Amino acid sequence: MAALFPRWSNTAARASLLALALLVVGVPLGLMAFVRSSNASARYEPVKQPIPFDHQIHAGRLGINCVYCHATVMRSPTAGIPPTQTCVPCHSTVWINSSELAPVRRSMQTGKPITWNRVDRLPDFVYFDHSVHVNKGVGCESCHGRVDKMSTVYQAKPLTMGWCLSCHRMPAGQLRPVEAVTIMGYTPAVAQARLGPELAAKYHVRSLTSCTTCHR
Amino acid sequence: MSATVEPDTGVSAGAGWPLLTGQHDDASLTDHLLSPIWQTRPGWWWLFGLSCAGTLLFIGTITYTIARGIGVWGNNIPVAWAYAIVNFVWWVGIGHAGTFISAFLLLLNQRWRGSVNRIAEAMTIFALVNASLFPLLHLGRAWFFYWLIPYPATMGVWPNFKSSLPWDVAAVSTYFTVSLLFWYLGLVPDLASARDRAATLFRRRVYGLFALGWRGAGYQWARYRAAYTLLAALATPLVISVHSVVSLDFAIAQLPGWHSTIFPPYFVVGAIYSGLAMVIVLLLPMRRVFRLGDVITNAHLDAIAKLMLTMGLMLAYSYVIELFMAWYSGNQFERFTYLVDRPTGPYAVLYWVMTVLNVVTPQLFWVTRFRTSGPILFIASLGILAGMWIERFIIIVTSLNRDFLTSSWHFYAPSWVDWSILAGSVSLFAFLFLLFIRFVPSVAISEVKELSLGLGEGQVDLAPIGSVEAEHA
Amino acid sequence: MTNDGANDLTRRGFLKFVGASLALAGLDGCTRMPAEKILPYVIEPPELTPGVPVHYATSMVLDGYATGLIVKAREGRPIKIEGNPGHPASLGATDAIHQASLLQLYDGDRATSLRSGRQRSSWAQLSAAFTPSSLRSRVGARGAGLYVVLEPTSSPLVISLLNRLRTLYPDMRVYYYAPLAGPNEATVARYDLAPADVILCVDADVLGTMPMHLHHARAFADRRRDPRHGMNRLYAIEPSLTVTGMSADERMRCRPSAVEPILAHLLSTLGGDRASGPAAAPPLPADVPTAWLAALASDLRAHAGRSVVIAGPHQTPVARALAASLNDVLGNAGHTAWHSASPLAEAGASGHSIADLADALRSGGVRALVCGGVNVAYAAPASLGLSSLLTRSPERLYLGMYEDETAERATWFVPQSHYLESWGDARAYDGTLSIVQPLVQPLYDSKSLVELLAMLGGQAAADPRMLLRQSWQEAGLAPTDEAWTSAVRTGFVAGSGFAPVATAPRSPIGPVTTAATSASPDSSTTATAPDRFEVVFAPDYRVHDGRFANIGWLQELPDPITKLTWGNAALVSPATAKLLGVSDGDGLALRHDSASLTIPALIVPGLADGTATIHFGYGRRGHEHAAIAAAGADAYTLWPAVGVPFMSNVSIERDESASRALATTHDHWSMEGRDQARIQTAAAYVASSSTQRPPRAPLPTLFQPEHPNGTSPHQWAMTIDLGTCIGCSACVVACQAENNIPVVGYEDVLKSREMHWLRIDRYATGPEENPAVVTQPMLCQHCEMAPCEYVCPVGATEHSSDGLNEMIYNRCVGTRFCSNNCPYKVRRFNWFDYNAELTEVERLVKNPDVTVRERGVMEKCTFCVQRIREAEIAAADAGTALHGGDVRTACQQACPTNAIVFGSLTEPETTMMQRRAEPRAYTVLEELGTRPRVTYLARIRNANPELDHA
Repeated sequence: MAALFPRWSNTAARASLLALALLVVGVPLGLMAFVRSSNASARYEPVKQPIPFDHQIHAGRLGINCVYCHATVMRSPTAGIPPTQTCVPCHSTVWINSSELAPVRRSMQTGKPITWNRVDRLPDFVYFDHSVHVNKGVGCESCHGRVDKMSTVYQAKPLTMGWCLSCHRMPAGQLRPVEAVTIMGYTPAVAQARLGPELAAKYHVRSLTSCTTCHR
Repeated sequence: MSATVEPDTGVSAGAGWPLLTGQHDDASLTDHLLSPIWQTRPGWWWLFGLSCAGTLLFIGTITYTIARGIGVWGNNIPVAWAYAIVNFVWWVGIGHAGTFISAFLLLLNQRWRGSVNRIAEAMTIFALVNASLFPLLHLGRAWFFYWLIPYPATMGVWPNFKSSLPWDVAAVSTYFTVSLLFWYLGLVPDLASARDRAATLFRRRVYGLFALGWRGAGYQWARYRAAYTLLAALATPLVISVHSVVSLDFAIAQLPGWHSTIFPPYFVVGAIYSGLAMVIVLLLPMRRVFRLGDVITNAHLDAIAKLMLTMGLMLAYSYVIELFMAWYSGNQFERFTYLVDRPTGPYAVLYWVMTVLNVVTPQLFWVTRFRTSGPILFIASLGILAGMWIERFIIIVTSLNRDFLTSSWHFYAPSWVDWSILAGSVSLFAFLFLLFIRFVPSVAISEVKELSLGLGEGQVDLAPIGSVEAEHA
Repeated sequence: MTNDGANDLTRRGFLKFVGASLALAGLDGCTRMPAEKILPYVIEPPELTPGVPVHYATSMVLDGYATGLIVKAREGRPIKIEGNPGHPASLGATDAIHQASLLQLYDGDRATSLRSGRQRSSWAQLSAAFTPSSLRSRVGARGAGLYVVLEPTSSPLVISLLNRLRTLYPDMRVYYYAPLAGPNEATVARYDLAPADVILCVDADVLGTMPMHLHHARAFADRRRDPRHGMNRLYAIEPSLTVTGMSADERMRCRPSAVEPILAHLLSTLGGDRASGPAAAPPLPADVPTAWLAALASDLRAHAGRSVVIAGPHQTPVARALAASLNDVLGNAGHTAWHSASPLAEAGASGHSIADLADALRSGGVRALVCGGVNVAYAAPASLGLSSLLTRSPERLYLGMYEDETAERATWFVPQSHYLESWGDARAYDGTLSIVQPLVQPLYDSKSLVELLAMLGGQAAADPRMLLRQSWQEAGLAPTDEAWTSAVRTGFVAGSGFAPVATAPRSPIGPVTTAATSASPDSSTTATAPDRFEVVFAPDYRVHDGRFANIGWLQELPDPITKLTWGNAALVSPATAKLLGVSDGDGLALRHDSASLTIPALIVPGLADGTATIHFGYGRRGHEHAAIAAAGADAYTLWPAVGVPFMSNVSIERDESASRALATTHDHWSMEGRDQARIQTAAAYVASSSTQRPPRAPLPTLFQPEHPNGTSPHQWAMTIDLGTCIGCSACVVACQAENNIPVVGYEDVLKSREMHWLRIDRYATGPEENPAVVTQPMLCQHCEMAPCEYVCPVGATEHSSDGLNEMIYNRCVGTRFCSNNCPYKVRRFNWFDYNAELTEVERLVKNPDVTVRERGVMEKCTFCVQRIREAEIAAADAGTALHGGDVRTACQQACPTNAIVFGSLTEPETTMMQRRAEPRAYTVLEELGTRPRVTYLARIRNANPELDHA
């Protein structure tokens, strides 16, 4: 009786066995790799804003302190997006007629807020509190990156739970003097290995890894 | 239906039965045993249509559940587990007989398993397909089921290995994989003979594809045997482990009625018990329809019935011990659950039905005639299957609905969705099994041939069945 | 608000399913979170920091009396109501209705548009139609045809506005009506329970529904903290079981018709003379145990001057007069019981009789009827026929919150503003002047009563705040700006309560209706005659007179006694039920003359045989969803007349057509010989605890020592005193409001799927004729060795370093294993997406500090962890150390009796720790070794030794 299958089918059979094995191992690995990639977290993608506000100029070149605009960061869970009125003092003298500032003028006239696009987004079931982090000596930079070098701001860190935990498990590594929290490109005067624990003791910083620290 | 085929080797019934009857040479055996896959029997389409309808109902109600929420079931607080888990445990239990028969008995050199193991294994696979659906389905957020599997997540957290549920996943999936391999490996030689005898090229191709180029060469047989025994050795401990792990889903809780040390063996026994009943329920009609009386003889029925009797007695013992322990513990909650709530509470009727079905029914099998009478075996087995389902219901629901604080006591009643899903899962099982007997050699031809060869040469010691003397006399 | 689990698969549901299947495909890891917008202020209000709550003082007015409240707002929306600690009617506590009134603000069924007839209209058009000149043309020059119906009001502002109206319409008639308002008298009865050693409540729910009940409950509880000395003794004589009756040390049930004879009998026993007493004490009904009364009398006599006798405000004038003379005889008058001027406008005047209005309508003298927030078409005795009579008035202007029964009959309908949207004022029962201050602009095109009256007075555009300020200035209530500002800040004017008045010369007590006239003397036989039943009409603990019937939180709040939700029932004693051959849910038909009512029966131990108790407020016929969903019977159809507490000679028979499955959350009264809720008589307790027992030895264990999570400076724990828990259920609603707990609806409560994190278990011990009842708040016990934790496959419930049993919703996959393994069954599961059908407005009530739970996840009490973390962070920001005692859970804050205290095990000086050390402290199901962080104090019954049948 004639052969049912051509000779190459042997090879095909072996190959498919191999492929199956690779698939079983490869697909999960691939997914795990992907969720860690910047594509998954939309990291490094500049977020367009209604006003081309340039942090590189304001925070970087002009050296305006973060807290000038994000005024409630020290006393509220949210750092606060500046009300339109914050722009006025300077921009009633500078760039008065700039078309790029039109939305600001319109907002002041109509009383309608400017609609900004959120850059760093945490899920709603995460209760992050800016004030306590800042007051315990965690720098803006630690989570938001070198904002002074971003002309258009983007998400600089993964903001995954694992990433949060990495600091919550060993906070000392990220601490700086409270006076220095807003400094960009901060470098500790003495070795962080020595400074960190000192600050941790001074600010009563504990490693908080209970679930309800963030989830309520 | 009198399914017993009178042996033409002049053996009087009762003394014992041969494993094979009729005059067959290898060729006729093969033709005979392959015949079901060549032509469709009338009635097959009927059953198949029915099972398809049921399966659609299954899919529909599952979709509805996932879309609307677990609330479409009857579950509540305190009874947060009910039908889904009952069905899960029931199906896993049924799944046990297959491997038990094929692997366990193979290692014990029980030759009679030869003509029934294929069916039993198929049953195991299909039962596990059902069983593995329910744990997924009963999750409030089924789409996050993979959080039960240990993998390095970006959340930086792992499953809780103190809980029995992640182990459940592991146990059931392992068991499923091994059973599947075991079944398929056993199939290879028969698929080959199906390939060789298929009428059309297409069929030859298909069966050939799955036969993996089996030619029955000596070296192939040698490796086949090695692999088969190896898998059997692998599968055997699983028979014990799987339902032990399942039983821990209850035993690790502190709930009266669950918190019990005898659960693992108790569950394993119950599992094999129900599994054997299912084997009988499937075997008898097949033997009738496909005229398999000559390979599936009273000897098989007798052996399985004896096993069921044994399991039934062990189960009865477990029941008694449970009650004794509840009384002996002196714990008011234990005593209430076992001695008050179950026998006299809102579900008392079910409790007594269960006791009758699981404890009284098998006592029939002390009588030789009943062990081999098709109708009695069939009905008794159905009863035992029902009884074992009710047992799981009693264990789960009656423990939950009245626990420690009387303020949280509440009755549980299933919804129409619960019933539909149960009916649907049985249909899915039937659906798969019907496809199996239609397209796959449902009796292990090679093993039967082997057996007949051995019988012919009188090499096989059939003492366990006790029919050799009769034959040679 | 309700979410019927059985409704069909919605489009949203399908989309969810699609999403689910995607996720199932493992793709959810890759899906990005949707882009989110941020809208900052244009000019930031100085008083407001985004993300930080602000608190304002205001008051809620019920039947004319104010209760001071502090309301918490986030970004301008009220999200939580607390009591005002300084306000005498609150003392920092609230009741269930105060808590739930928040939900009414965001109620999706609130009327949103002003209409004339069926046409949508506007405030301008309305005020144009009602300018004095035009209105005069319709109601006569002197306004003889103008009739105004208001709730009884104590508001100086409203009174001044009415006076202004009277100058325009001198002959205008004003009626003050609320169905359950107290007696219409110039003085109100006042009590002080603090100095009272013996308290006798005769059908008086002094802890539950009477005015100042929060104040009384606190005073009552403060005398029960230490059973060893100075513990008061509460006697209750009542036909049905009330919150007060549940808390009583000695309770006697009696048919309502027996109340007067019993009081008269007591008075004569205690030597009331002709002047103070009735002519002759009538015979007592045979079923009243005289021995019991004798013991009571001797106890009262023994504590003359330090006791108080209280008759319910809804009791007959005779009964209340008898109670007053009892206080005179006992020398309590002036010490524990006195009278003060009624804060209500025109108290004692005829304007409080709604029957007159019915007559006026019938006579056709009413040309224009202005109805200010009173749903007269529903909440009035059907015998008056107001619902049909209303239409006799050609013009009917109705100010109401809902399109209800009266709105249907209105020619002009004005949506009423919620009190959290309005300016106003009112006096508390004791006269304390209180401010009603808005926290939000009206959500809809609605107006307050003040604005309506001002409009009628010709000031359509007046700013209510300015009106209030003016009226206070004119009345000299707040002469200076400082006074005004401080009043607005604190919410009330301290010390503005009314002084006692010399007990009004009481007219000699009228003839005591002997029980004989209402039932044959031998009432053991009366019960057997079908037409000899008595029906008690009672205010509802949840919907009061029906006005709160559309508040889901209240509809789903289990009644403190019956644990019934979503409706009412005829409460009958076990014996009566047997007599009628009914069990729970079986329908009954009540008939008296022409009036009849069909209603399901519900068996309650401790009720007087031969009586049925019916609560007001159900059987609504308006357009409010929850009110309609709560199928119940309308007690007003049977109610003979306003102010009548009960009705005799009612025939009761079975009526299958009225049968209905009753959604009770806890239908098992017995503890089955278990001891989860412990109760002990004072004598036995003192005997056992006087000999200083050694501290309870810890159970033998292989586990690590107690408080295993010592790594945190605070170790949170709670103590609940069953001795002072009166079961009022304010904590349950407070918890619901604080923690975004959804309403599941009648169907799902029937299936035992209610979501309350905190429930109040209620057990009865002793004879079912007259059991001792104990209420036990049951919430997550935060076990140190939590059975739920080790069974969760994904670690969605864990133990925190400060001893909390944490529930992480976003990790939960919903195996429900934790609930199965929880011996307290305090975990609740989201069987459906119970928030799916909330409107945008309804969502505003949610507390932004607590996750709104998704379908398919488990949830439970968290010890208000959001409050703990908020306090910790505040302390950290301020660089101070947090004192654990300063953190208060929602249930604790609402509790009128301070039965619940919260704190840290690391601070031994706190009340919480001191109570833990008491000999009567115990943990529930201790033998399971779960080591709960919640400790209970056994209830101590200060039984009268002479009566003790324990």
